[in-house]
Amino acid sequence: METEKKIQHLSERLTYIRDIFGSTQKESLSLLESKMADVRQQEGHLSPEKRRKLVQDLEDLFVFVENKLETSLTAMDKVRIVRHPQRICLRDILENVYDNYTEIGSMDEHSIDPSMVIARAYISRRRGKKTVNQSIMVIGQEKGHGEEFRNGGSVKPWGNAKALHYMKVAETENIPVHTYVFTPGSYPIEDTPGAAQQIAANLYEMSSLQVPVVAIFSEGGSGGAEAIGLADKRLMLSHGYYSVISPEGAAAIEGRLRTGQRAGQELVEACAMRMHITAQDNLRMGYIDRIVQEPSLGARPHHYDFFRTLRQQVLRATDEVVLGIRGNGLYRTIALKSRERRAKSGIDFEKTYVSWSLSSNAKVRLINKRHAKFRALSRNAAPDSTPLWERMQTRWQEFTAEMVSHIRYHMLHKHQQKLSEIAGEIESEWRLFFERLVNPVRNVIAKVLGSGEQVNADTARQLTELSEWNDTQEQRGGNWAWVSRRAKEDRAVTCPNATVHGCLDIWAPDLFGEFAGVCPNCGHHFPMEHQWYLHNVFDKNSLYEFDAHMEAGNPLSMPGMDEKLAEAKRKTGMKSACMTFEAQINDVKMVVAMLTGAFRGGTVGAAEGEKFIRAAERAKRKRYPFLAYVHGTAGIRIQEGTNGVIQMPRCTMAVRRYIDAGGLYMVTYDTNSYAGPVASFLGCSPYQFGIRSANVGFAGPGVITETTGVQVPPHYHNVYKALERGHIQGIWDRREMRFNLHQALMTMGGRNLYYR
Amino acid sequence: MSITNHKVLVANRGEIAVRIVEACIQLGLEFVCIHTAEDAASGHVRLAREKGGKKSLYRVSSYHDANELLAVADDAEATAVHPGYGFFAEDYRFARRVSQRDRKLIFIGPSWRVIRELGDKINTKRLARSLGVPTVPGSDKPIYDELEAEKIARSLYEFQRQQGIESPMVLVKASAGGGGMGIEEVHDIDLFRSVYRRIRNYAARQFKDEGVLIEQRIRDFNHLEVQILAERGCANIVHFGTRNCSIQSTGLQKRVEVAPGFDPSAVSYSFDAQKVLDDITAHSLAMAREVKYDNVGTWEWIVARDGTPYLMEVNTRIQVENGVSAAISRIKGQAGVNIIKEQIRCGLGEPIGYNQEDITFEGVGIEYRIIAEAPENRFSPWVGRITKFDWKQEDWLTMHTHVPTDQPYDIPTEFDPNLALGIVWGNDLAEVRLRGLNFLDNLTLEGANQAGEGMKSNIAFLHNKTPHILLF
Amino acid sequence: MLDISAVLEKIKASPYKELTITSPHTGVLTLPEGLAPGTQLHGPMGTWKEKPGSLLATLDRERNEKNIHCPEKGEVVWLNTELQGSFVEAGVELVRYRHFLSKEEVLEQILKQALHLYLAPERAKYYFVPAVDIKIKVSGPKAVSVRDGEEIFIMSRMKREAPLRYSGPEGVIYAVYFNHNQNVDTGQALIGVCPPDLITQVEDVVTRVQMEWKERE
Repeated sequence: METEKKIQHLSERLTYIRDIFGSTQKESLSLLESKMADVRQQEGHLSPEKRRKLVQDLEDLFVFVENKLETSLTAMDKVRIVRHPQRICLRDILENVYDNYTEIGSMDEHSIDPSMVIARAYISRRRGKKTVNQSIMVIGQEKGHGEEFRNGGSVKPWGNAKALHYMKVAETENIPVHTYVFTPGSYPIEDTPGAAQQIAANLYEMSSLQVPVVAIFSEGGSGGAEAIGLADKRLMLSHGYYSVISPEGAAAIEGRLRTGQRAGQELVEACAMRMHITAQDNLRMGYIDRIVQEPSLGARPHHYDFFRTLRQQVLRATDEVVLGIRGNGLYRTIALKSRERRAKSGIDFEKTYVSWSLSSNAKVRLINKRHAKFRALSRNAAPDSTPLWERMQTRWQEFTAEMVSHIRYHMLHKHQQKLSEIAGEIESEWRLFFERLVNPVRNVIAKVLGSGEQVNADTARQLTELSEWNDTQEQRGGNWAWVSRRAKEDRAVTCPNATVHGCLDIWAPDLFGEFAGVCPNCGHHFPMEHQWYLHNVFDKNSLYEFDAHMEAGNPLSMPGMDEKLAEAKRKTGMKSACMTFEAQINDVKMVVAMLTGAFRGGTVGAAEGEKFIRAAERAKRKRYPFLAYVHGTAGIRIQEGTNGVIQMPRCTMAVRRYIDAGGLYMVTYDTNSYAGPVASFLGCSPYQFGIRSANVGFAGPGVITETTGVQVPPHYHNVYKALERGHIQGIWDRREMRFNLHQALMTMGGRNLYYR
Repeated sequence: MSITNHKVLVANRGEIAVRIVEACIQLGLEFVCIHTAEDAASGHVRLAREKGGKKSLYRVSSYHDANELLAVADDAEATAVHPGYGFFAEDYRFARRVSQRDRKLIFIGPSWRVIRELGDKINTKRLARSLGVPTVPGSDKPIYDELEAEKIARSLYEFQRQQGIESPMVLVKASAGGGGMGIEEVHDIDLFRSVYRRIRNYAARQFKDEGVLIEQRIRDFNHLEVQILAERGCANIVHFGTRNCSIQSTGLQKRVEVAPGFDPSAVSYSFDAQKVLDDITAHSLAMAREVKYDNVGTWEWIVARDGTPYLMEVNTRIQVENGVSAAISRIKGQAGVNIIKEQIRCGLGEPIGYNQEDITFEGVGIEYRIIAEAPENRFSPWVGRITKFDWKQEDWLTMHTHVPTDQPYDIPTEFDPNLALGIVWGNDLAEVRLRGLNFLDNLTLEGANQAGEGMKSNIAFLHNKTPHILLF
Repeated sequence: MLDISAVLEKIKASPYKELTITSPHTGVLTLPEGLAPGTQLHGPMGTWKEKPGSLLATLDRERNEKNIHCPEKGEVVWLNTELQGSFVEAGVELVRYRHFLSKEEVLEQILKQALHLYLAPERAKYYFVPAVDIKIKVSGPKAVSVRDGEEIFIMSRMKREAPLRYSGPEGVIYAVYFNHNQNVDTGQALIGVCPPDLITQVEDVVTRVQMEWKERE
């Protein structure tokens, strides 16, 4: 019976190998298959002892072949490993890594979202002779072993909302959070909330969650991974992948395939490799802190050794986070160093106790450190061609600006307020007193003299003669400062709503000139170039661009990407999709980061992210309001792989720092804005506005149909829908953007400054 | 310079289309007409069929669709567009498109810049004031400040009281508005603030501009107009006298127009009427010169009971009532003036060819607008089939109509039910009144609607008003 | 009494209607290649009818090409090939096609003969009064019953609106024949009303058609 079980187990391993390697590695596979067939044939006739020997030999052969195959694993093989139903899942980990746990809010398919599992767990450690149970909030996607209802670990927005809820619970309870990333990506549905909206909320909250967070990545699929992946320590399983997009998705884009078409296997393999998605790649690029070694060909539920390793690793990571922020500097260093030594010598973490609860000072340091950690990431992925002396100058300017605003807003402002309040009081008192004194006299004089003839002549003149008027509104009558080139074509344009609203064809020079791209009948907004906004929204000559030297690069050396970037740079005259500048509206100063659809679809890579962060920091330093004007963005630039994805937490954290310091952060969406940026640093703003006829969402209709099989109705991502879902806070007419923006600044900011 | 190689697209319907075609024929110009399915029986369609040359009639989906007009103009190889009145007549964008498209056409009307400049009420008012032309007392720029607004309102009340106006009134209107939207009257200064705020908020919401205009509300006035004609480049500019259009429907639409504007020889006014006429004519010409006006146009005035004129607005187009001015005008002593013809000539680039001294005026003219409507029921329009339409021919009478007299005609429901213009001329006021009554008495207009109810028209209304013309 | 069998037989004898597509506006006409008498046409498709029907013609006006699509299933009968490539006026016949009647359409045809029709007194645009309009939008026309002299319409013409009273037998509104933004000619049916004594007969028509009518491609 025992051998029978073993053979059964080995045949499962064989199936697994076949599933992973498929058509490749035929030799090894047929070797194992024939040996397996031999054993099956023979074992019936043999004595139990010989049988045991035979099976043992077969098992040895399996180990040998598996070890051999392990050395030749490609990136795509790892993707298949991670997706295999035999791969360990979160519940295996809960069973084997933690000493006890209670699942929160789910019982198999009975859950708000069975693909997200929350558990309160503990790990027992010894303190001297006492055993201490250390509590942890475990949060992660549950792929299960092929159960349909798990949705493959693709989490719906409410699943992510549940995750966020229990992170906040952990914060209240002052216990660390362990997150397990087992997701191919988020379920791209628009609901209340929408996918992007919820992920953005998660990132925003996690960036300053006041407890240690350790994330363990097995399958890190883009936005879905980020929803729970922002952590103080990020571990990755050695056979996992962490990527901006599935290799198939990347291949579809690389091969310029249309919806429904499938990329060839070779292209998919090549893309998987080029995208640098493995644990080793990500460690090298710095996006994870450490690799947890798995057994050959990846961890499966029977690898009990692996669970022990994992347990040690999560304990160590949690200890490190806590020790790294302990108040006492001297003790901290010693402890850390000794621990590192011990780690190398394989010391057991079970037996050394570190308390995980944090003091309030430690919480501050925890968050500062987390922010510093992410701020430093992806520095090398974006070339900055700013000359050294200019960089030095900038530093100096930044320093002086910081000093100036510190003095102005922190030291002077408070006193000034008090003084002006007192002055105001005195003035009002005096005025009342004076009026009472003078009015009777004035009335007597008026009665005696009667109303003078002089006064009448003046009145008449004022009412009938030309008054002085400096018409500052240059836009009266559609005289825009910048007009699209499309306004030069003599042709008529049909409004897409013509059949519904009966709009007549519009002459292009009217439409793209005076009408600013707005149908005069139904108000449909045709997309306009970003220059239109630069010149027609902000005060004339008020734009001052900074960080112009930051350049979109090709950190993964993707073939053909250099040419594509060069083309985009030539066409737009810009160096990246993000332009950052200072500007004014009616003399109100602000910092603006603009993502333009003209440059590679407004995709965000390392350069764009860094520029965005610097803009947020500049706004913080100068105490200016910060506007993200999204002319259009198709998402994270997939050709940059995790260098791009990491901008989601990075930029969100920059925004968080800015808002926490008192800043007013506004977002305006134009044309089409999708995916990563919306699901992070844009979607987290409390004040997001859509330009009419714009679309905002997570995944485009084609992607939704492909990944979920659901057909979405027309106008699914329209701003009106986004408003109904509670994603955005208002809809603006393009022609009134200047007016609305100014009004928003005046109403959401203060009277003189838009900074609390 | 010859203009006969031009072909004119008649971008209008009904009576004005007929008159444009007639003017083109008189000038020896080719023309092309358009019509919609509903309008197939209109007189201008018939005229085009009978008198038109090659490619002279097209069916289009709508008179309101500029694309239709221009596509037809190109296919028919037209070189100029006459917009008539209504539709595109005062649409500067249409005029601009016509003259700026790749295949350029002449817009028979003022240049688009002039249309735009005088189409803006604030602009017109400021232009007038800059030339010392009298305008309605009040602000001439958008007011954004509540205190300033109230100050203006107060002085307007004071101003009116000094002039002996018993219950002064102030108008508050959104400066960016138009067409009666966002206008309110204030009788009492204590109510001003609340009205001001209401209009300001309305304007901010509706037009994204909080600007408000505050003006005196003038009641008890006569409505006068000055007919202007200028050649391209504005080197020569003349006027064809004044008209009085004070007889209107409850919806303030004109029903009877009289030329000249006042008749001091027959009626005694409480002010120097001749001086008023001379003044408004001089003012109108001064403004036209200032903006380099370059086609026909009408300066609209209101004259208060004390004889003070105020400029209201400028209509940068030919008007319905142009014929009544033509009826009393003589060029170098010759009758038979046709202002539409003069408009087309100048529009195509011909100089006027005569001076103001060559234009003289004789007698009095009345224009009656004959409309299928029920004046007793707030002038509500009547729709149905006209079975009989006839009048007595007189040498002092000109009829303009698109309604056929030899066959029944169904009034299209898409447009105002204007049927005809009857222009009557007399040597003096007394004669023209008699002739007017005579004309109306001999006018036959019969018909019925689906329900079998008899036709309704405003003939009786016109009859009742005739004895009162030119009286103030 | 209506003889349903006879009517049904009559429709079966010519189970289609012929429709003509006219040019919506002026422009230079292009008839697509491959379109010829006999070509099968389809109407709008997709879950939300978001994919347009077969291309019937293209009109180019002011450098703006506009496609004219087929509104329903059918078969081309005649094409105005004479005008191919030339400038056409508005309202010119371009394509004639034959549309085989669906069950709903047959039902509608028969019902129009069985029901009491209330006709438009004048050429005008018609609306239901708000109270009726809401009821119809929420629960369908069959939820509304009308009495003689009841004010249920608004008639709009020459930019003026007037209330209109229904006249005829009391019953439920079984069919609505007008659109709110289109002119209805005098004498055209506005609504079909089913008096109570007719209900059994009407239900009979419905079942008969459901059972006997076979839809053709």
